[in-house]
Amino acid sequence: MKYKDYYAALGVARDADAETIKKAYRKLARRHHPDVSKDADAQARFQEIGEAYATLKDPEKRTAYDRLGTRPAGEEFAPPPGWQHEFATGTDAFEGMDLSDLLDALGRGRRGSMPPMRGSDVEATIRLSLEQARNGTTVHLDIAHEDGSRTLAVTVPPGAIEGQRLRLRGRGGAGRRGGPAGDVYLHITLAPHPVFRADRHDLYFDLALAPWEAALGADVEVPTLDGPVLLTVPPGTRSGRKLRLRGRGLPTGHGGHGDLYAAVHIDVPATLGARERELFEELARVSPFRPRALAGKEGSDAAA
Amino acid sequence: MQPREHGEPGEWLEATGVIGQLELAQICGIGTTDIDELVDYGVLVAEGPAGGPRVFSSEWVQPLREACGLWRVYDLDLFAAGLLLVQLHRIRKLERQLHELDAHLPYPARAGREGPGGWREAHAKSQA
Repeated sequence: MKYKDYYAALGVARDADAETIKKAYRKLARRHHPDVSKDADAQARFQEIGEAYATLKDPEKRTAYDRLGTRPAGEEFAPPPGWQHEFATGTDAFEGMDLSDLLDALGRGRRGSMPPMRGSDVEATIRLSLEQARNGTTVHLDIAHEDGSRTLAVTVPPGAIEGQRLRLRGRGGAGRRGGPAGDVYLHITLAPHPVFRADRHDLYFDLALAPWEAALGADVEVPTLDGPVLLTVPPGTRSGRKLRLRGRGLPTGHGGHGDLYAAVHIDVPATLGARERELFEELARVSPFRPRALAGKEGSDAAA
Repeated sequence: MQPREHGEPGEWLEATGVIGQLELAQICGIGTTDIDELVDYGVLVAEGPAGGPRVFSSEWVQPLREACGLWRVYDLDLFAAGLLLVQLHRIRKLERQLHELDAHLPYPARAGREGPGGWREAHAKSQA
C-alpha cells in the first residue's frame, strides 16, 4: 500500500485546525475543478485533494491517518498489525486496498460493514446539427472517468431540442463493493444553422419581401428542412408578421412536429433605376397610406 | 440510403414533466431526507395532490443536480445548496427565455444593423 501525504496535498500543517483544512480544500477544489482548470492533470489533482479532504475532515479518519506517522509520499507501507485484528478478518484482509479504502474501513469500524458505493455519473455535451436533431443520430463519445476511458455509441432519438438532457442508465463509472454503476448524462446543444433558428420544436427564419410582394401578396419559394416549398404571402403582409408552415418544424417525439415560421421583413432596393424611382415617386404622390399616422390610433395593429 | 447505426438508447430526462422524489434523489445523488429538508426550506417546490406521492417538476432536475454537485465538491451545508438551487433554477429559466427570444428576434435587431432603431413621429396622432 502506498502512503499519501494528505496534508501536503492540501498544503496545510499537520496540526491545522478543521476550519483551516476546509478553507485550503475549497480554494484548491475551486482552482483544480475540471470545469475550471484546463490543466491536463486537473482531474487527477482534483481527486487527490478530494481524497485528502475526505480523510482530514473526519476526526476518526484523521486520527487513524495520523497514527501512520510521517512518511515520504508514495512510499510502500503495511498497516500496523493491530489494525488487522481490530478492523478486518484474515491475514490478507488489507490486500489490494488503497489508503483511502483502508481509512474508510477504519472509519466505519470493520471492513465488512462498508456499504456498496454507486459509480460516478459522467456528464458530456454533444452538439447536433438541426438535421441530426430532426432525424436522430448516433454519436460516439469518448467518456473519461476514474475507471479509465472508453468510447460509447449513443443513439439520440429524433426530436432533440436545445438544452435537453439524455440519460444513459448504468453507463457511467463502475460501482464499488457491488454498488450500481453511475449514469451518463448528455447535454444537447444545437449548432447554429445558417437559415433556421430553433425555439424548442418550432423553427424560425427571416423572409425578405419586396414592398410590392408584401402589399400585393405573392407565392414565394422558402426553405424548409425537407427542401424548398412555395409559401403564399397574403396581400397586405406587414413587416414583423410570422407566417406559419404547419408541421415543418422538429419532431416532438410524440408523433407530431413543431411548426416553421417565416418572420417577414420588408426590404427595399439599395439603389433605384430611373423607372423604379419614377414609379415610387408616383406611388408616394397618389397613396394615402401614412404608416406613422397609425401609431396610437384605436383599433390599429400597426404597433404589433 | 444507408441503414442507421445503432448505439446505446438514451432516455430524455425531462420527458415526463414530473419526477418522483426517490428518482430525483437518486439522479441528484442525495438522500430523500435531504429533499424533504429542501422542501421545508421552501427552495424546492413539490407538486401533486395532497396526501399523494410527492412529485416534482422535471425543471428541477438539472439545477438540483448542479446544486448538489457544488454541495458535495465544496462541502457546503444543505441550506447553502438550497440557496444555490434557487439561483440556478432562475438562471436556467432565464437562459431558456433568452434562447426563445433570440429565435423570435426581428431581423434588424439580430442582424446588428447600425443606425437608429424604429421610431414614430411624435405628432403622428394629430395626423390621423
